[in-house]
Amino acid sequence: MDAAKRSIVRKYGGNPALLSIGTTKTVKELSAGEPSINLLAKVISLNSRELEQDGKTKEIYYGILGDDTGTVPFTAWEVRGLNIQVGDVIRLQNAYTKEFRGEVQVNFGNRATVTVEGGTLLEVASPQEAPLTRRNLDELQEGMRNVRITARVLDIERREVEVRGEPKVVFSGTLADATGKVQFSAWHDFGLEPGEVIEVEGGYVSAWRGLPQLTFDERSRLERGKETALPPLEELDRARRVWIEELVQKGGGVDVQVRGIVVEVREGSGLIHRCPECRRVVQKGACRIHGEVKGETDLRTKAVIDDGSGALTAIFNRELTETLLGKSMDEAIAEAKEAMDSEVIRDALSDLLVARPVQAQGNVTSDDYGLMMIARSVTVLEVDVQAEARALLEELGD
Amino acid sequence: MQRELAWRIFAGEYTDATLEHSSGEERAPNYVITPLGAKVNRLFLVGVITDVEDVGGNGGDGQPMWRVRLTDPTGTFQVYAGQYQPEAAAMLSQVKPPAFAAVMGKARTYSPEDGVIYTSVRPEMVKLVDASLRDYWILETAQEMRKRLEALKEAEAMNPATVDGLVALGYRQGLSEGIVLALQHYGKVDLDRYQSMLHDALRYLLPEFQDGVSAPAAAEKKKKPDTEEERLVLEIVETLDRDGKGASWDEIVDAAGKKGLSKEQLEEITNRLLDDGSLYEPILGKIRRI
Repeated sequence: MDAAKRSIVRKYGGNPALLSIGTTKTVKELSAGEPSINLLAKVISLNSRELEQDGKTKEIYYGILGDDTGTVPFTAWEVRGLNIQVGDVIRLQNAYTKEFRGEVQVNFGNRATVTVEGGTLLEVASPQEAPLTRRNLDELQEGMRNVRITARVLDIERREVEVRGEPKVVFSGTLADATGKVQFSAWHDFGLEPGEVIEVEGGYVSAWRGLPQLTFDERSRLERGKETALPPLEELDRARRVWIEELVQKGGGVDVQVRGIVVEVREGSGLIHRCPECRRVVQKGACRIHGEVKGETDLRTKAVIDDGSGALTAIFNRELTETLLGKSMDEAIAEAKEAMDSEVIRDALSDLLVARPVQAQGNVTSDDYGLMMIARSVTVLEVDVQAEARALLEELGD
Repeated sequence: MQRELAWRIFAGEYTDATLEHSSGEERAPNYVITPLGAKVNRLFLVGVITDVEDVGGNGGDGQPMWRVRLTDPTGTFQVYAGQYQPEAAAMLSQVKPPAFAAVMGKARTYSPEDGVIYTSVRPEMVKLVDASLRDYWILETAQEMRKRLEALKEAEAMNPATVDGLVALGYRQGLSEGIVLALQHYGKVDLDRYQSMLHDALRYLLPEFQDGVSAPAAAEKKKKPDTEEERLVLEIVETLDRDGKGASWDEIVDAAGKKGLSKEQLEEITNRLLDDGSLYEPILGKIRRI
């Protein structure tokens, strides 16, 4: 019956999803495996990620939806024409649910209809219902609510963003304690300064590409902590050297340092072209989102670093790549022109880096392809092989 | 999906492996388990390519299949690249042995008959490098091998060894799993054999262990490796190597004699050059310049 209705509507050029065939539910009522549901909910967090599907790259959105009964993670499999923002109240029709990591998850693809309900107010269940729990920063994990932390502000930046068409101010930066670092967003001006020790009660943890992120606002309690409660700024700011295996287990890390050899300089390294609109890499003269564009040249390196415990892909931006190459991007462009092959720069990077020990530092995030570091520094290490070999032989009792 | 790490492993340990393992799940990766418990899906090698041969065509499809021998101080890896590894195959078809090369590839096994397993490598990337990177690889591979030896000793002491037990001692999950599998398959491993393999590899890096020359003398020698005589020998070898397959030893002896070098002197110099990697012996009785 429903199928018949849909096909008739489709035949006359209508959108069959608007038939609202599913059942309307609240978040609390959702269970896994429902083929068609309707939901009125607020977008609490929104992230995008790229997947490879049938050899093509595809963008999806994921995040958290909430209403006055609770919150639920979601994935949007079709982002074309999907114009939603954090804070929007959306009417979702013909979505389906699945179980993912033991939780109900809302999914919607091109069968579904999403309408932003302008002017609709929706109270979202307070995230304060979980018991207040004291946590070290390295314990924070996506989905934790009502956490209590003591940390030092390493850096903070004021940014103006648009939420539901209204300008809002968010203060974001990095927090550290003796166990690690975490990025934070404060949706309220607490007048925070770099170096301060703060105690936050009532924050919640979302994730950006696998990296936990602490969010708090005026509903959270924030107090200045004792200056002596934590090691000094310089000590906390130092990057921690970690084994990549640890990053694999945690799904990433904030401002960490890894040491390993470069086992591969991946395709997409060297001279690349970016879309002037969105900075995505342009392939064959076309941006995935903006179609045919005149790409702007950029220089970067995608190096696979392997430390014997695991591997990650490190991205070195133009500046770091220029330093590694010992030449500017303009010189690299001239060289590629002369060789009539832009791959010569990737080859040069490969010659410089493959099999060589390096130390790189930056934020590490993860997605379906594993770990990725956006490096803020990289050094090729000079190792005195003979001295180390002698030391090792001595340790072995030779 | 996590990227499989690239194990650093000596040929001596890898070619001893006779166990292939898979969790049995659909599309689960395959691993080669070595006697020291390395659980290898991907590996990273740096060594000398001593031989490249097209062994394809036997299958009848006429596609080349490159078989490459890559040696390190402990043995030889067999590397095979065919049409499904186009970049590596293209690279290998151009290589003129001997050449220092880095290879990243997948662990493979070949079983010509029941109970016999040969390990090989299917390259994903091949790159020519220099001697200093080969030396660094030996050092790092030695450090990794030492960790495995220690873990294996711990495991033997545990009786029975369990993955959780090893992880609790601070060993990595992959290695702990590999060690438990290795103990089941290989029984008691000849640790001395691997201990001495490790020592040999490290000594290979150090001038004081070459030719039994005392350490200070060796260090001295290392500072100025280009003696007149060494240059002369290198020149002779190069001139006599007409077909790129090496100069014959007898001819070298003759030519050196004419330049006033005795056979004993020549042997000493040649050994030195073989050790520092300037010369190499592709087949017995032939010498080539690297």
